[in-house]
Amino acid sequence: MRILVIGGGKMGASLAQSLINEGHDVTVIDRSDTVIQRSQDTMDAMFIKGSGVSVDTLREADAPHADIVIAATMGDEINMLSCLTAKRLGAQYAIARIRDPEYLSALPFLQKELSIDYAINPERATAREISRMLRFPYAGTVETFARGRVEMADFRAAEDDPVVGVPLREMYKKNKHLPQVLFCAVERGDEIIIPKGDFVIKAGDRVHVVSDVKTITQFFEALNKGASAIKSVMIMGGGRIGYYLANMLLGMKIKVSLIEINPERARRLSELLPGATIIQGDGTDQELLESEGLSDVHAFVPLSGRDEENLMAGFYAVQRGVKKVIVKSNRENYSALMHNMGLDSIISTKAVACNSILRTVRTRASRSTATVERMYRLMDGKAEALEFIADPGAPYTHVPLKNLNVHKDALIAVIVRDGQVQVPFGNDTIEAGDHVVAISRRTGISELGQIVHR
Amino acid sequence: MNYRLVFRLLGRLLMMEGALMCPSLLVAFLHHGGDAPAFIFTIALTLVCGALPGFLLHPKRDDLTARDGMAVAGLSWLLLSFFGALPFVFSGAIPHLHDALFESVSGFTTTGSTILRDIEGLPRGILFWRSFTHWIGGMGVLVFTLAVLPRLSGRTAHLARAESPGPTFSKLLPKMGDTAKMLYALYFALSLAECACLLLAGMNVYDALIHTFGTAGTGGFSNYNLSVAAFHSPLIEWIIACFMLLFGINFAIYFHALRREGGPILHSEEMWAYLGLVLLATGAITATILPRYPDFFTALRYGFFQTASVISTTGFSTTDFNIWPLFARCMLLLVMCTGACAGSTAGGFKISRVLLLVKSAYRDLEHTLLPRKVSVVRFEGKSVPESTLTQLGVYLFIYLCLFLAGGILLSFDAGDLTTSFTASLTCLSNVGPGLGQVGPAENFAFFSPVSKLILSLLMLAGRLEIYPVLILFSPTVWKKN
Repeated sequence: MRILVIGGGKMGASLAQSLINEGHDVTVIDRSDTVIQRSQDTMDAMFIKGSGVSVDTLREADAPHADIVIAATMGDEINMLSCLTAKRLGAQYAIARIRDPEYLSALPFLQKELSIDYAINPERATAREISRMLRFPYAGTVETFARGRVEMADFRAAEDDPVVGVPLREMYKKNKHLPQVLFCAVERGDEIIIPKGDFVIKAGDRVHVVSDVKTITQFFEALNKGASAIKSVMIMGGGRIGYYLANMLLGMKIKVSLIEINPERARRLSELLPGATIIQGDGTDQELLESEGLSDVHAFVPLSGRDEENLMAGFYAVQRGVKKVIVKSNRENYSALMHNMGLDSIISTKAVACNSILRTVRTRASRSTATVERMYRLMDGKAEALEFIADPGAPYTHVPLKNLNVHKDALIAVIVRDGQVQVPFGNDTIEAGDHVVAISRRTGISELGQIVHR
Repeated sequence: MNYRLVFRLLGRLLMMEGALMCPSLLVAFLHHGGDAPAFIFTIALTLVCGALPGFLLHPKRDDLTARDGMAVAGLSWLLLSFFGALPFVFSGAIPHLHDALFESVSGFTTTGSTILRDIEGLPRGILFWRSFTHWIGGMGVLVFTLAVLPRLSGRTAHLARAESPGPTFSKLLPKMGDTAKMLYALYFALSLAECACLLLAGMNVYDALIHTFGTAGTGGFSNYNLSVAAFHSPLIEWIIACFMLLFGINFAIYFHALRREGGPILHSEEMWAYLGLVLLATGAITATILPRYPDFFTALRYGFFQTASVISTTGFSTTDFNIWPLFARCMLLLVMCTGACAGSTAGGFKISRVLLLVKSAYRDLEHTLLPRKVSVVRFEGKSVPESTLTQLGVYLFIYLCLFLAGGILLSFDAGDLTTSFTASLTCLSNVGPGLGQVGPAENFAFFSPVSKLILSLLMLAGRLEIYPVLILFSPTVWKKN
């Protein structure tokens, strides 16, 4: 598809690169010469200097023939106007990044009037992601499929876990009490492995498991990782994400204390969030953290604007024994390092926003064939978890799985039929209309037929 | 340097060259010139030398830095020229390696200077290969490779940029592979059009192909000692002159024409300046040489052909302009300096660079009169970053240095200043003939082997726009990273 990305900053560049990797024709508009010169060396896209609100620039970038326009500049207004102009010029679908809370309540109205098809608020999406991770404290990240029936969660295998040191095919013979989940992917060092029956999990691996919600919960309880629900959260940094998150948590009746360094902002937050305890101070100050009760809270979420501060505060909280620590960091390339140092839950605004935009693009790209319902990227995009709806009449339906060729870098994780979740075995079949969740190391898959064939 | 990746790329390129020699082998078979074994041997050798690194080396990382991209461009042209010279040596057509290398470099860089005294005596397969190198070199081998092997490496923009002429490289389509395919499609279509015109004008297929290759790549090798004059056909001269001009225009213009976008064509300052310069030079030359020819149209035909040939850096000739009045020769020297448009197959300094330098000179002059005035240099409707202008000044300086160094070094062999400096200029601009002892009726055979190597380096530097060749002399490039 022809995709026009307006704004080649952090998010725009990351999006453009992912879209190029998936084989789309990408054109990037940016106002800065330096951005263009740096990016065009590394990215196989067309770069056009100019502003996304200028009709001439949009025409030069061939916006009239674009299938999707994504406006990801720093300014909400520029994004909205660019989308409107591009759509009026003939673009098919417009996605805008709109982050100012002021626009939040009027968003449906704005979207309709400005013909923006999809508005993404990265901070709000991130806050929602964090709140979900807090509700499921046992796992590093939790992804849901099949309208929430299936969950995929990951945890780090510890030395004394019963899953360690046993080949997967003997797992449930040895551990009779363990609820049956599917081990779908394992991260080891820089590598991601789709495990087969003879695979043995080692301590330190990040293990992704998938199953229905109840079994997953039981599985983590059996592993003794199912800690009791989180009742109190300390947030460091009262920016947009902090505000959205505090608001969501308060709505869930969770006790929130929020540390903000800027006195004026702290005052404003206390107006906006009457239920929360707002503390004015430096969140990187360990004494302050201790005196405000860091050791007693169930979860600590550093969300300041500086990755380094967040990481340091996060490490400190892990060391002080806080049960759940979620760190915001935009540096994805360090995630392996952070996992090794005990920080399991890392979230990046950029990745959250990119993921949800990519999911939209994919759904549009594959509308005519079997659809990708949902897509998650694991380990900075080295593997993907995809949910498909099986196509009626596709060659892979009605055939027992053992007679099908599943791509060697892929795995069929679960099949959901009429609301029933099952981990498939050799004799099971895929039927038309089934929700199928697959894990693939090959990226850019847009239909189930690319993974399974006869 | 990422050695594994660079050598893998070079290996693939060599295999590509081996494949590109096959048409010449076919011609050699068809004409029984006794040169077929030379081609078979060269193709086998090239394929083996290419396949070893091309298939056996597995790079650990597939990231190509800008530096590596330039080094690949420089190295690949050296290698291509070397292997391209082998058929000349093996067939005995050009017995000495330094002569064969000069001829091969002159072919690939689309210069068209020759060391051959008697062209017509050579086997036809060899002559075909000699001209075919023009066609390959015109649009560029790396661009060709990108078109047919799109997933060569993730970061291929460097390669195309290092090989494509002009101060900036702009893609036509978002994907590099698609851009390369589009460029070759346009190139192929224009070549086909010329070939058809030449056939209709009465040329035989072999001659038509040879002269199409020479024109399309803006090279200038002919299979006749008298070049295009050998046909004694004004029609053929007009056709070739027009196509030489067309191949000197930025290919993006044709792309826009194809998409029916008039704006970019109307606003292309470079194209209009190029056409204006052609008009000016043709007018001036025609007026000067008018007394030497029987009528105006003959003078116009000779004036237009020589102007088109030199400005597009092709180097065909229909007359010996060495005997023209000095002013006419000076006009030819002027257009030899400017060259044609960026993004075309032509060599030279490029009109867009000249325009940018003129504009920035004007701006700086204005600045001395109005020191507080802030002004940006605009080109084709866009403001030009200051860094580009600085780079341009540096490029001009290095270009002049190479020209002077070449002229001085060649003075050991050349009989006069005109010869040594026009030989240096004609090779650096990839034109072909110069003035004096290297005029259109002469050749480069009298130079010593050392001078021929210097000229070969100048041609490569001119074709690749200096940096890819120059950086090969820097130790930093060869450091492992």
